[in-house]
Amino acid sequence: MFARSAITTRTAVPALNAVGQTRNMATLKEIQNRLKSVTNISKITASMKMIASTKTTRAQRAMNVARQYGQVSNDFVKQSEVKKAENAKEILITASSDKGLCGGIHSSLSRYSRRYLNEHPDTPLVVIGDKGKVQLQRVYPQNIAYSFNQIGSTIPTFDESSGISSVILSDKAIEFDNAKLVYNQFVSAIAFETSEIENFPISQIVEAPNFKAYEVQEEVLENLNEFLFANTMHWALVEGHAAEMAAKRTAMENATKNAGDMIQRLTLQYNRGRQTVITNELIEIITGASAL
Amino acid sequence: MALPHEIVLKNKEVNQVDLSAVSGDLGILADHVPTIEQLKPGVIDIMADTGAEKYFVSGGFAIMNPNSVLNINAIEAFKLEDIDAQAVASNLEESQRLASNAKDEITKEAAAIEVELYEALQTALSAKSK
Repeated sequence: MFARSAITTRTAVPALNAVGQTRNMATLKEIQNRLKSVTNISKITASMKMIASTKTTRAQRAMNVARQYGQVSNDFVKQSEVKKAENAKEILITASSDKGLCGGIHSSLSRYSRRYLNEHPDTPLVVIGDKGKVQLQRVYPQNIAYSFNQIGSTIPTFDESSGISSVILSDKAIEFDNAKLVYNQFVSAIAFETSEIENFPISQIVEAPNFKAYEVQEEVLENLNEFLFANTMHWALVEGHAAEMAAKRTAMENATKNAGDMIQRLTLQYNRGRQTVITNELIEIITGASAL
Repeated sequence: MALPHEIVLKNKEVNQVDLSAVSGDLGILADHVPTIEQLKPGVIDIMADTGAEKYFVSGGFAIMNPNSVLNINAIEAFKLEDIDAQAVASNLEESQRLASNAKDEITKEAAAIEVELYEALQTALSAKSK
């Protein structure tokens, strides 16, 4: 009886163990694969973070210059204390970019733009950057007058900014007085805020209370208008680019950290699984040996 | 004086600034009447107590504000000594050729602007060496 029970146990246990082992083996392989892929992903995000941080330092330096350039250009506008005309026609220009993986940059811009377009549905819209275009096209396709791409992978140059502004200004089909440039303001390396720069047309500035003091020739006013627009555009684009690079860096840092956490969890799971398999094998051997 | 890619001068106390404007050359002293001038390619001469500095600018705007602050937005600015006379001469020839061979208005205009720029550069450089 004792021997029979031992025999029955011996045949029963290996069968159970075989199934248990195959189950464990399959899970072990799965976990190993996941571990491999997550490790690869973490390497990629870590290198993307490094690239983004070098781009951020460079972009920040360019932004400081472009910001001052834009502010200098707008200094006399501020001093003139110009007020927006009552029924001024507006145009909304959203400065996003083509690349993703930068956190909430593009959705924040499109949310701001959508909120404005909700209240002013007739405003023509110019979108710079494919990511922004895709989001805004879904809700306001009829407003989009122009869209630009190939912007945002490098620091925007004045060439690009003035090119964009000349295209917008020379299109007679789009009439506008004031331009609202929606961009992401660089608050810090980990924070940005979507805001706008208001660009006044020269026609309103000459009506401003303090503008009478300035001596200026008629002929240069048109050029001044274009120049002012291009300068403000340049400021918005470069600062937006800096904010995006910083956000990309943060996003990649978080991704790498999350991947690291996953790797730790998976490794623990894997080791526990491995130990379970070994323990089961040992049990099998020992019970088999003790039966003899 | 601000360029899109560089702030050349900031909050500098100066005595006089000579500009080359579209409306003509002018010198701006402190408390000058507020003016807005479009700059043509030429030399900006900045005279301060510390000495005089000359920059060649490609164009832009100079705005004198009521608070005696002169703001200059230019696209490119370089000290005269950093400019290569040889390159100027050869580029001038190139642009003149382009201007005469130009088929359409836009190319002609663009080349004419280049010619104006290089001629101004040459004048500036020869004036300096005088």
